[in-house]
Amino acid sequence: MTAHPESADVTPSSFTSGLSVADFAACLAMGLEPVGLVQGFCAMQSSNYAVGAMQRGLSPYQGQSGYVENYQCPHGMVAGEHRMWGQNYEQTWIEQTWSQGFASAYARMLEEATHLGAVGVVGVVDTQSALVGAGVIEFHLRGTAVRLAGSSATSATPWTTYLAGQRLVKVFEAGFAPVSVVASVASVRVWAYCITEYLMGGSGVSAWSSSPSSTEIDQIVRAHTQSRAIVRATAQSQLRGDKLQGVQLTVAQHEYERGDLEVQAMLRGNRVRRFRDYEALPAPQPTVRLS
Amino acid sequence: MTGPNPSTNIDVAALVRETLSAHTSNVSSASTTSDLSIDEELNLHAIGWEPVQLVSGYSVFSTPLGLWSWGQGEIVAAGEAHASAFRNAASRLCGEASAAGAHGVVGVHIERSIYSTHTEVSMIGTAVRPIGAGRVEPTRVFASDLSARDFSRLIIAGWEPLGLAVGASFVYAPRRSMGAVFQQQTQNVELTNYTEAIYSARELAMDRMQRSAINLHGSGVVEVKIVEGPMTFASHAVGFAAWGTVVRLAGATHRLLHPTMVVSLDDAEVLFDAANLE
Repeated sequence: MTAHPESADVTPSSFTSGLSVADFAACLAMGLEPVGLVQGFCAMQSSNYAVGAMQRGLSPYQGQSGYVENYQCPHGMVAGEHRMWGQNYEQTWIEQTWSQGFASAYARMLEEATHLGAVGVVGVVDTQSALVGAGVIEFHLRGTAVRLAGSSATSATPWTTYLAGQRLVKVFEAGFAPVSVVASVASVRVWAYCITEYLMGGSGVSAWSSSPSSTEIDQIVRAHTQSRAIVRATAQSQLRGDKLQGVQLTVAQHEYERGDLEVQAMLRGNRVRRFRDYEALPAPQPTVRLS
Repeated sequence: MTGPNPSTNIDVAALVRETLSAHTSNVSSASTTSDLSIDEELNLHAIGWEPVQLVSGYSVFSTPLGLWSWGQGEIVAAGEAHASAFRNAASRLCGEASAAGAHGVVGVHIERSIYSTHTEVSMIGTAVRPIGAGRVEPTRVFASDLSARDFSRLIIAGWEPLGLAVGASFVYAPRRSMGAVFQQQTQNVELTNYTEAIYSARELAMDRMQRSAINLHGSGVVEVKIVEGPMTFASHAVGFAAWGTVVRLAGATHRLLHPTMVVSLDDAEVLFDAANLE
């Protein structure tokens, strides 16, 4: 195959890419050539994952590390099924399983990019999905490896970013260089004690009293607050002075029984490094489009 | 394809090459997190503000069992639970922002979930401050659901956000008599009990939102969002909630924005959608 003279910027060898045509065009405008659609996979099983859905024990779970908070029933022994204790604890084994799976898939994607002589990977997409059975998660990362046009420069650890196209152009124009995608998970298990159980069921306060009132459910609030703080701290610990832009924080809650639930916070973002100070920007000009 | 962009005169390819060659040198040592896009961050920077940290606030309030099923007039405890959950979530959001040294939170995403036995409110946003500014009193830290772009426009126009105002009310729609049900079942007829319940909830909610704006010493509320309708778990209850950002003039007068008329030469179709792989 002979390169067309007008497309001399593109190498004559064929390449694969997950970029849309628009993002592909922006990529070329940045002087970056796609060299291949690179991917990384990792299937993780954690035998400890089942601990998250285990039956309620006679006493609070021991031996955990990370965030833990205990709650004590104020009533004393009422009945056998009365929840004498409650506990919030960080499920560090789930977080470790997740970060190990993500890191392995990420490293494999980078390995492919390095093999292709890339300097970076743009338009990264990561997904986690259930595979074969319960407790098995497939981590899948893919993106388009790029190299500098007309240059043989390579990188042992290519940079990565969720961005592509014009959004990535603006990152460079704003004085930032992409470093890597960052993703982290925090998981907090809630074993409700009697008060939380009653309040979640609406029976901690009476509708039939002369002035029915509402009450905050402290144990659940603490679980949510801590899961968000942990996931943010985990991501921040990877920044080493860099910035995390375009963060997406999602929080999911799965309730097993009344008040017994699991809160999972997931955070993704683009780690970028400022390589020159902001230039003084003019104030934005309001415009009205005539169409 | 490469070379200076004729519209901006920026040689992007040269810029990228320069950036990547300087990749290891970092001119800033402060780690920040934000959910703003690069456009929003540039908008903030243009008015002299910067993102500091991603912050969040959460609250859940219990409501009494049986509250929604039978009664007359407003369901007071449900309205209280909504107001308290909203207030506590916003307070925690601003608390995190204050601890990070920010002056406010912009682009707050608000999620509300109302169940028969509890009401939860979650807020996530980016804490911001004027570039390099010191701390302010925690009580002066504001929360706003305006995007960073709208926040910039507000500041340019000479206004300032003060916080979030909210009002909500839940009202029983009285059951019709059996006679009325039989009489009306083959007719096209307005169900005035539901109409009146919606009006009642709306009056109370809007009034509460206005009062919370006045308590913040605001002169108005912008970007008001309204959610209203039946409660899915209670056949004879309707709800109305409204919230928005409280604003007031920061200076003596409003600064008029004189927009420039532009004619886009792009096709009507979006040819350069910057979305990444999804």
